[in-house]
Amino acid sequence: MAYENKTSILILDDEPIVSKRLKPSLEKKGYEVETFTEGLAALQRTREKNFNIVITDLKMEGIDGMEFLAEVKEHSPGTEIIVITGFATTEAAKESFKKGVFDFLAKPFKIGEITEIIQKAAEKIKQRQAGPDTYHKTA
Amino acid sequence: MKHLVEWARQVLAKKKPGRISFNDMFATFKEILALNNQTLDLIANANDMLSGDYIFDRHFIDTFCQEVAEMVHELIYKLQTMVPHKYEELTESFQRIESEINRVLTGRLVSPVEDYILPYEQITRALIEAVGEKNAHLAEIKSVLGMKTPAGFAVTTTAYFAFLEENGLVAVIKETVQSWQEEEIDLEQASGKIRKLILAGSVPKQLKKEIEAAIEQISTPDPDDPDKIQLFAVRSSAVGEDGEHSFAGQYRSEMNLPREKIIDAYKKILASAYCERAMEYRRHMGIGENEIAMAVACQPVIDARASGVLYTYDPVKPEAETMLVSSSWGLGERDVSSAAVADHFTIERRPPHNIQGLKIVRKATALEPVDGGGTRTAAVAEDRQTAPSLSNEQLRDLAELGLKIEKLYKKPQDIEFAVDRDGDIVILQSRQLSMQHQALPRASELAEILEKYPVVTQGKGTIAQEGIAAGKVWKVLGNDDLNKVPIGSILVARYASPNLTRAMKRISGIMTDIGSATGHLATIAREFRIPTIMNMENATEIFETGQEITMDAQENVIYQGLVKELHYYSLAEEEIEETFEYRLLRRVLRKIEPLNLIDPADPNFSPESCRTFHDITRFVHEKAVQELIDFNYYHPHSDDAVAGRLQWSFPLDMVIIDIGGGLEPGTGGTIVPSQVTSLPMTAVLKGMSHPGAWDTEPVSVDFGSFMSSLTRTMSSEATEPQEVGQNLAVISRDYVNISLRLGYHFTVIDAYAVEDIKDNYAYFRFSGGVTDPSRRNRRARFVAEVLKRNDFHTEVHDDLIVGSIKKIDQQGILKRLYLFGILIGFTRQLDVKMVSEEHITLFAEKLDQLMEDYHGL
Repeated sequence: MAYENKTSILILDDEPIVSKRLKPSLEKKGYEVETFTEGLAALQRTREKNFNIVITDLKMEGIDGMEFLAEVKEHSPGTEIIVITGFATTEAAKESFKKGVFDFLAKPFKIGEITEIIQKAAEKIKQRQAGPDTYHKTA
Repeated sequence: MKHLVEWARQVLAKKKPGRISFNDMFATFKEILALNNQTLDLIANANDMLSGDYIFDRHFIDTFCQEVAEMVHELIYKLQTMVPHKYEELTESFQRIESEINRVLTGRLVSPVEDYILPYEQITRALIEAVGEKNAHLAEIKSVLGMKTPAGFAVTTTAYFAFLEENGLVAVIKETVQSWQEEEIDLEQASGKIRKLILAGSVPKQLKKEIEAAIEQISTPDPDDPDKIQLFAVRSSAVGEDGEHSFAGQYRSEMNLPREKIIDAYKKILASAYCERAMEYRRHMGIGENEIAMAVACQPVIDARASGVLYTYDPVKPEAETMLVSSSWGLGERDVSSAAVADHFTIERRPPHNIQGLKIVRKATALEPVDGGGTRTAAVAEDRQTAPSLSNEQLRDLAELGLKIEKLYKKPQDIEFAVDRDGDIVILQSRQLSMQHQALPRASELAEILEKYPVVTQGKGTIAQEGIAAGKVWKVLGNDDLNKVPIGSILVARYASPNLTRAMKRISGIMTDIGSATGHLATIAREFRIPTIMNMENATEIFETGQEITMDAQENVIYQGLVKELHYYSLAEEEIEETFEYRLLRRVLRKIEPLNLIDPADPNFSPESCRTFHDITRFVHEKAVQELIDFNYYHPHSDDAVAGRLQWSFPLDMVIIDIGGGLEPGTGGTIVPSQVTSLPMTAVLKGMSHPGAWDTEPVSVDFGSFMSSLTRTMSSEATEPQEVGQNLAVISRDYVNISLRLGYHFTVIDAYAVEDIKDNYAYFRFSGGVTDPSRRNRRARFVAEVLKRNDFHTEVHDDLIVGSIKKIDQQGILKRLYLFGILIGFTRQLDVKMVSEEHITLFAEKLDQLMEDYHGL
């Protein structure tokens, strides 16, 4: 199997349409994708498994996206986080980057835009895996 | 542009108290123009979201609606500032539309029509929320594909809501569903209670009357037996689920009814909206109760010799590339035709549709209608019992019809049909076939598989409609090519010409070198869900007619050859266009985007007739121009501007308003060109009077073009006849703003030319025409070509062309204004001459020659 080491992605967005559109598109490109519309379930899952990439909304019912990503980052520093939000403010972007997210994308966006960001994140992870020393230095 | 407004304010701020000055009025006018363009852009962008290439959410839809409402409100406010107390009804129309949009945003289904009944001839895809999927499909199969279908009519969702209202059921249904969801009562109780209430309700008098009249309309007595009682089929055609196929068989259908039983059957079908399985399914899928509405289909029963069901794919073995048919003698009742007493055929999907397998059973009985209603089983003559119920020829016809319907709906179909007494196949119903998911590749398996296929292009161009298409390329070069497109082709064309829409129902994909994802073609491609990629730059060079390709317009990858896994994957893929957000965006856009107010001469061109936000922007724009003219020319009462009518030898009726230094002192009333001291205006006028530019001989318009001008419905903001429009120029020494209407064309020029380069600009906007869309589009591209050759930045959308240039010296601006002048005269009726693509370069070269004569003003 050429795809034993698939890049794993978790998507959290309380609006089902986001996952519905993204999941098949990313799977077709060879990523392993799990999707959640409820924050608690997603949080639970990130405690069980370290995903390579986590894509999350910020403003959701029942959970604060900022807290979610902070916890993911704490539990698994190697996970790259991509924020997608319909309420894109400079403050939110700044705050996200301060928390160490990989990129910040305002909704609506094109599939191509997020795919490109995911590719870059995946490359970063690969480079890090290739050189464990650099990882420890930056982590 | 702001600096100019400011400047005008400062220099000419001498308005008397209580009266609006011309400067203020003109400043407002310019704001209206800008706001009008912004509003239309915003709407076009929202439509672009429907392409499937974006991730958007509910928040986007809310924000969009809010923004567009604010802009339209601002437009109304500005018009009312120009002319207080004149268009107050606009505010009412605005509030009405806004509250309709807000109602849609609550998720409640709102019927787009007021009619209780719609005959099939009047039903289009846009009315799906009034008539349901089943009705809309059947109507389209006849109107778009020209197939034989029963006569019939839809009882709309408007009627459904009226029924609930009349019987006071809205609240009680809501409460009952709620107490079931909160587990106070069980499903059986909830479903039973609601259905009982509906069945006990009475059909509103007016509705009953209309249903009876509609039945009369579709009744045709049997010529051989006039006394024979005609029977009807009454079927559910629900709205509001994620694809009706998920509901197959859950709702009720009442077959073979005499007319007096139709009203009762209607109620039974309404009640079936609350059958247990449907309620359970909706809860499972998260479909809100307020999204539910039941439309009903009513058709006379076909006197069928045979009937059956066609699957356009084998749902468990799609790779076999076969279609499955089951049929038997007599009337079709679904249960019967799928049971053991039916003949089964397996046909190849590929023409000539050879029959791969058949199983002919003994059909000792057939279903027959009984005069009083219902059916009975009658004995079949001995010699017909073991004969196939469909001939080879009928099977081939059926296969062909099936493929065409599949092409129209882009998914495998489950089709009910009958063979009438003439031996013709009549389509009774078509819906998406549920494929067995185990039989198809999953997205996660595709990555590895797809690597093995050669990629022709990747990431080229813009996706205008997502989707997957496999087929052979058909390159459109000449005009005739469109009539010869083989069914299932992927069209490759140089331009996104509106002309291509002619082939829409036959093709499976579109690629163009040049074109916009917000243009007319993109909108139509979205309506038909045809995978479309625009702006690929050189698709016409890369692809050749006959080349087999697979187009993945989800990921924007084109593969060489047939990628069968991708194709099969797409067969059962849940359509993103059917998700709630897409449906919601489409619904709100229907209150925003369509343009109904076309002709200002029409008495309905009034604030009260505005049905969408686009109507309001159109109205405001039109009236702003008119008011500016009225204010200054017909009722001059402003002393800060001079107005007069231009008098010269060219057929151009124009009012000129001078806001400072644009005319010789003391000019007024009648103006001759030599009195114009505005440099930019002089440049335009000189260009217009260039020898050869103004062809005063009218070009004869051929009949087809003339008809096309009458039947046009698409917007271009420019369809009004000459008598209605007014030509207006607002000028100063260094500035010109011209609104021109010549025949059916609409031109706007706006330019500023001073010593200081950084303030200079020239803007040209042109649209309209009387001929077919492709010729108008060619003319727009010709204008674009000319402007490009003169360093303009240009944008073409259908027949609209916008060109702009900034920050060049005064002489440069004046030269280009001279060019505008030539263009106005030259292009006046040029669309009529634009019979082929070659004319674009030809005329552009001719214009270059004319410009060679320019040696400064």
